Amino acid sequence: MLLILDVLTTAAVLFVVAIGLLAIFGVLKIINFAHGAWITVGAYCAVVTTHLGLNPWVALPLAFVVGGALGALSELFIIRPLYRRPLDAILATWGLGIVIGQLITLGFGRDVQLTPNLVSGTVNLLGVDYSAYRLVALAAAIVVGVAFAATIEGTRLGLSARAVIMNETLARGLGIDTARVRLLTFMIGAGLAALSGVLLTPLSSVDPNMGVGWLIGAFMLVMVANGSLPALALACLAFGAAQVLISTFVSPILGSIAIAVLAALVLRINPKGFSRA
Amino acid sequence: MPIRHVVGIAAALALSTALARADDAPIVIGVPVGLSGANSVVAPSVVQSSELAVEEINAAGGVLGRKLRLEIADDASGAAGAQKAFDALIYSKKVDVIISMETSAARNAGLPAVTKGRKPFIYTSFYEGRSCNKNMFVNAWVPEQQVPPVVDAFTRDKGAKSFFLIGSDYAFGRGMLAFTRAYIEKTGGRVVGEEYLPMDGSDWTSTISKLKESKADALITSTAGGAPNVTLIKQLRGAGVSLPFANLAVDEGTAKSMGAGAEGMYLSASYVTGIDSPENKKFLAAMKSKFGGDLRTPNDLSVPQYEAIYLYKAAVEKAGGTDASKVLEALPTVSFTGPRSLIGMSKQHHAPLTMYLGEVQGDGSVKVVSTFKDVDPGEQCPKLN
Amino acid sequence: MRLSRLAPLVAATVAVAALWVAPLFLDPFAVNVLTRSMIYAVLAVTVDLLWGFMGILTFGQAAFFGVGAYAAAMMLGRFGGAPEWIAAALGVAVAASTLLGLAVGWLSFYHRSTALYASVISLVFPIVVTQLIYSGGELTGSSSGLVGFDVLPFEPAGFFRLAAMVLVAVTLAAWVFVRSDAGRALVAVRDNDARCAYLGLNPKRLQILMTTVLAGVAGLAGFMFANASGVVAPENAGFLFGTELVIWVALGGRGTLLGPVVGTVAIDYLAANLSGNLPFLWQLLLGATFVAVIILLPGGLAELASRVVGWLPSRRAEGFAPTLRARASLPASRDYADPLLKVSGLAKSYGSLTVLENIDLEVRPGELVSLVGPNGAGKTTLMRCLSDGTEPIKGEIAIDGSSTAGLTPNRIVALGIGRKFQVASVFESLTVADCLLLARASHDGLSPVGRAQALSLPQAAIDVMRMTGLDRMLASPVHLLSHGQKQALELSMVVALEPRMILLDEPTAGLTKAERTTIGTVLRTLTGELGIAAVLVEHDLDFVRQISSRIVVLHQGRLVLDGTVDEVVNSETVKTIYSGGGHD
Repeated sequence: MLLILDVLTTAAVLFVVAIGLLAIFGVLKIINFAHGAWITVGAYCAVVTTHLGLNPWVALPLAFVVGGALGALSELFIIRPLYRRPLDAILATWGLGIVIGQLITLGFGRDVQLTPNLVSGTVNLLGVDYSAYRLVALAAAIVVGVAFAATIEGTRLGLSARAVIMNETLARGLGIDTARVRLLTFMIGAGLAALSGVLLTPLSSVDPNMGVGWLIGAFMLVMVANGSLPALALACLAFGAAQVLISTFVSPILGSIAIAVLAALVLRINPKGFSRA
Repeated sequence: MPIRHVVGIAAALALSTALARADDAPIVIGVPVGLSGANSVVAPSVVQSSELAVEEINAAGGVLGRKLRLEIADDASGAAGAQKAFDALIYSKKVDVIISMETSAARNAGLPAVTKGRKPFIYTSFYEGRSCNKNMFVNAWVPEQQVPPVVDAFTRDKGAKSFFLIGSDYAFGRGMLAFTRAYIEKTGGRVVGEEYLPMDGSDWTSTISKLKESKADALITSTAGGAPNVTLIKQLRGAGVSLPFANLAVDEGTAKSMGAGAEGMYLSASYVTGIDSPENKKFLAAMKSKFGGDLRTPNDLSVPQYEAIYLYKAAVEKAGGTDASKVLEALPTVSFTGPRSLIGMSKQHHAPLTMYLGEVQGDGSVKVVSTFKDVDPGEQCPKLN
Repeated sequence: MRLSRLAPLVAATVAVAALWVAPLFLDPFAVNVLTRSMIYAVLAVTVDLLWGFMGILTFGQAAFFGVGAYAAAMMLGRFGGAPEWIAAALGVAVAASTLLGLAVGWLSFYHRSTALYASVISLVFPIVVTQLIYSGGELTGSSSGLVGFDVLPFEPAGFFRLAAMVLVAVTLAAWVFVRSDAGRALVAVRDNDARCAYLGLNPKRLQILMTTVLAGVAGLAGFMFANASGVVAPENAGFLFGTELVIWVALGGRGTLLGPVVGTVAIDYLAANLSGNLPFLWQLLLGATFVAVIILLPGGLAELASRVVGWLPSRRAEGFAPTLRARASLPASRDYADPLLKVSGLAKSYGSLTVLENIDLEVRPGELVSLVGPNGAGKTTLMRCLSDGTEPIKGEIAIDGSSTAGLTPNRIVALGIGRKFQVASVFESLTVADCLLLARASHDGLSPVGRAQALSLPQAAIDVMRMTGLDRMLASPVHLLSHGQKQALELSMVVALEPRMILLDEPTAGLTKAERTTIGTVLRTLTGELGIAAVLVEHDLDFVRQISSRIVVLHQGRLVLDGTVDEVVNSETVKTIYSGGGHD
């Protein structure tokens, strides 16, 4: 039971962290290496709400808005000239991540920041005392995933985004403002990353480098998902399970590199990873 | 504050006489320290205590009539940065001595430069032990000094028989826990689990599940300072772990930044702010008046730095100058009574120390639970004297 | 001409002399810092070859460097610094990194691998290596690294000179290589690796070879680093160091060799002087400059310098052109009765969509077979199946009796098949002469040190060029050619392969009337006089009627007609298909 909960909640955390990266990669075919920096920005939104004495849950919408706004700025000034140079976009966003990290350091200092618990305590679930917050994270992953799927399937923006994914020239011909779709997608991706930063605060230290550690894992998951949301969910479950099982039965050190190594092997065998498309 | 005026005038007088004699150029102390990277949280407190020591010594007339001057360099908490920092200090800034708190990787990276440049080097960070170099002296603790108080206290006071060990996968984490395991087994206890995560690892889920299933009586951790410490403690608290818990690698400042989360945690140190001695009270008051609102909590890394500067002063005075070989000869024979009580690096380039077992309180402060006098560092470098 | 060929040697000699005396004038701090910077610059050269020239963005060179450094440190720590053990440490450092390079190369590059996948592997690899170092206990020193091992018995000035010599040697070798004929192949693989494969070259093997060799060079740099600094640490092998290398190369100017060298030394030296005082501000400035350079100045500072001075080699090929020479054509001595190509029962489907079904086809030497049929009939798919044996199919395709099943395009080219694509597939960054040189590479090889003074092509290829005026444009960059000229260039390249059969996908699309006539003449010469077989996909039925010896009609994935020009043109079936029934 404990093991199952560990697998599910680990997969949920991975999913929440990776979904912002997936949104951007799926539509824009750009790998956003500033993803870790957006996560950090989100976590610092939680720090700011604490300083202002607000309810800690206020950090969630705040992070989404701040992340989206910063995402808009970087799409306009950094990503837009690089759509034709995807490898350069990796580098430029990595550089952007360095800049954001240093700005946070200059503004807040290097120290680990104190953030309040969103939910504390444990819940007894079928005879196991389990961290209440990890269950909240599981619920959050489901909510974010469903909301994201609904946006893609049910809204005008989602329709336009799918059109851009399939055939951008045609989409433009149909009168879709593709530049606006790209801008909004990038904002949503950055906003989701920042949101995940807030959700990570009860699990992780909050410091200027906190996001970098999550970047590689999220990147590998998105590569394996190949831009598809169901494939991402599947990848998070499969690799989350692999990480937990290897950590539990072999060694947590091997477990911590399991995602990266297994994802690389999966891609070697099938370049499209877990997606059918 | 008339006293400060007097000190200021004295300093000015001393300065003018120093300027009058050209051969009395200041003695330069190089401090390579991790202003960026993993150590950057604690580094500012190390710089502050160095500044206080130098200010106090200069105000009291300097060393053999010469002033002290600090040269701070960032080592980026790593090997590559340390090489640059040591080279810059030894060859470009022409320092007389290196006194610093650094990561083990940075210390090792600096040692060749210290050896080639023939400079004395006082290392002021606790570490996993057994780093030996004829130019290097250590005035901070090693596992032999720090671990026994924790294990003894848990065995004696909490009746713990089985222990679970968690560490970060690096030299310090592995070294500390290897010693801890040996000590537990020697004293009749049992180790029911030993788990490591990479230094940049942030997901302790399965480790915590194993801990809960092991039904251990007590938990001892040695995770890397900063993020891994905080991450582990947050996740432990989230999972409702409440057994006796000691952290071998946490300093008071970090404990404070974790707020209520760290309450009840034990730590073993050669320095805690709560030491009840006149030297410590004077030191804390001096720090407070010098740095005011910018004061970083003095800790087990910054106080040895402060004392090391005084130890160097004593060695130079005994040697009659800054000549490296004479200073190195004098260093094991001198001592200084500082905030941590009497310190001398008399045992194989290491220092016997008084150790304190502390418990973190709800407000993040540390209460001294028990004191262990003059704990011996053991056989660290049998080949050195 | 002579002078410009000697210039790199002269420059290298001057650099060696200057760097040899430099330690006499530099303070010990600068000597130490610059020694390490120059070792890093060796790595930067390897990153530039991979990324700047071959288009492989790699973060993995740091890991090979770390492996070399650790191998050396572990050997020297265990066995001491006697000369034979130093030699052994050097050997092990280079061998270990080379072997790992081979493994990483094999993992990264395979048929249909993408550039992004190679970057993914180059990210994972340093993470794994660093983790192994951390978990290595006493053997690797874990996080503390290794220190106190014996090293080469040099003073700091000696290490400075050693690093300088190696840096100059590696840079000079790289310089000579990238300006040689073989160096053109690096750029060709970056531009268009599919075309490389369809010229009979093995782009993946070239990528694996370069990865392997440059891993060895990185291992050598690691050996020097371990000796010069006397310490190795996990960060020397890490992903972050890998990104730093890329940043230095990008700022210096990718694809220029000298830019990355100067950039690395300058930035690392500046960092040693500035970052001590302002660590965070320094990182901020470096990061911001990096972003700006990537967006606004992809060629880095070298591009800026070359715009100002104009002496650095830009990535664009210089106006070098060999003289054209005709080579004796192979005699058309084939027995005309045996089929060269034999397709039996071919079927191809994508999922549930069947594109080709039950195709039987034979083509003999000297035949010119046109494939016609409406859009979506499966013509291009058939061409793809013929030229790439890794396409999953049912049925059998044989060339001259040997099955093509599982063969990659380059191996099918070796069987004598040349393919011309619908959209001209050429090398945009190269010159006309370079494209033809690469077309001949599978026959004549490529010099890794110099440039061929003469380019000998089959007469037919020269004829195509004459007719289109390409023979006077040998030094022109391909991206300046017109649409028709690119089509003609690609045809010349395919003909230069001296294939036994040519596959052409709409060679006349978008060409003028005159150009079409020229192509027709060439095709008739090739098939009629040289006995080459040709399979042509074409929409222009007039053109087909003029040149074909046979016409095959495809409709909805089936072969509905196979006959002489007259038979097909007068067939009722064809009229039905083309009068609208086909476009359902």
